[in-house]
Amino acid sequence: MKAARVGAVSLAALGFAALIAACSAIQQATGVLNTAMARADDAKTVIEAGQKLRNSFADITEEEEYYIGRSVAALILGRYPVYRDDGLTRYLNLVGNAVAVFSDRPEIYAGYHFLVLDTDEINALAAPGGMIFVTKGLLRRCQDEEMLAMILAHEIGHVAAKHGLQAIKKSRLMDAFAFLGAQAVQRYGPQDLAQLTAIFEGVLSDIVGQLIERGYDRQSEYDADGLAVKFGARTGFAPDGIARFLATMVGDRSTAAGKGWFKTHPTPEQRIGQINKAIAGLGTPPGIEDVRTRRFRQNCGSLK
Amino acid sequence: MKKPRSFIILLVAMTLSLATAAADLLVVSVQTTQIRKSPQFFAASIATLKAGEKLEKVSEANGWIQVKTASGAIGWIHSSAVVASKFSLQAMNKDMKTQATAGEVALAGKGFNSQVEASYRAKHGEANFAGVEAMLRTRVDLAQVEDFLKKGKLGAFGGAK
Repeated sequence: MKAARVGAVSLAALGFAALIAACSAIQQATGVLNTAMARADDAKTVIEAGQKLRNSFADITEEEEYYIGRSVAALILGRYPVYRDDGLTRYLNLVGNAVAVFSDRPEIYAGYHFLVLDTDEINALAAPGGMIFVTKGLLRRCQDEEMLAMILAHEIGHVAAKHGLQAIKKSRLMDAFAFLGAQAVQRYGPQDLAQLTAIFEGVLSDIVGQLIERGYDRQSEYDADGLAVKFGARTGFAPDGIARFLATMVGDRSTAAGKGWFKTHPTPEQRIGQINKAIAGLGTPPGIEDVRTRRFRQNCGSLK
Repeated sequence: MKKPRSFIILLVAMTLSLATAAADLLVVSVQTTQIRKSPQFFAASIATLKAGEKLEKVSEANGWIQVKTASGAIGWIHSSAVVASKFSLQAMNKDMKTQATAGEVALAGKGFNSQVEASYRAKHGEANFAGVEAMLRTRVDLAQVEDFLKKGKLGAFGGAK
């Protein structure tokens, strides 16, 4: 009995020392636990652990999202030429970043970046990671800064809600996480790299297919419109800019209108209805300011 | 009989203390960011932080977190710039270095990284990465954004809701 008590006391003392170690350095404590607990070291357990720890698009890290986004952006820039006008690009980045600061996701791995694509199609695209594109055709259709800002707010909404990452097939994501969870190395050997690159190619085709070919589902579009109203109004833009822009698209059967944004979205009429409901919920929304419309015309008035 | 029970109690105590410690430990998840004097983007910067830096949570308010850096500086960071450093209890029986929580993957630079991109680029000439690099070089800083807001009667300078 006595021996048992002494044993328990010394064990408790040992435990106390271990606890101090745990407080001073978590990794040390992890080491203590590792030796204390039973282990099953086969690779299968590691893979299962990997799946338990990361199991949805929301578990893709900021850095991984950035690398996915870079490649999605590279594929977009492989299809469309860039409209080169440094002043306009700068203006676009100021409008976009002004909205981003007031969004639900102001911080993103490498910041938000905006670029004009040289095409008459009327379109806007957001790659994961905050690389956002608008077409020359869309800029020509905008009449003031509010319209442009609200379209950028819609795209920032897609990024903030990670709609692009949600396009990745679940099975593909599980393959990726299982594979990555089993890797202890920081640099991959040729065989692992080939396997990971194949998964990466699949991820990109899921996202680009959704972004350019199929378009987001109806709910994602309504969600992005709702976020646009929220972010835009917080910034101080008149949120009906997006409804006024959409109104210009009603009944537009031109090739430019049919190819881009509106091929892939719910109809403009349906969206305007939802947007007006969201704006009504704001009470008194901010209004248009002439100073903004003037600077919009200075920057976008001479589009070729 | 007492020995194993004490040992289990000890393990539970340690696990709890670990979970508490982990809950207050944050990791910077964006490339670079700042901690600021007050919880807003246009407040004065106290220090610049890089991805992977560990922070201790002090308090929280409206999407902003007051943190303490490794060097002891205290300031505010937006919650979208950090992730909680998770310790998974299911993963405790493995060497932590082989585990992949979101925070730890970001730290290690594992997963889809520059090496995977380089491998993808080598096979896909149709992807225009030079264009992406040029796009990323165009930057506007927060002081310029603030000036833009001011001139456009936006944000704190106008009718923001």
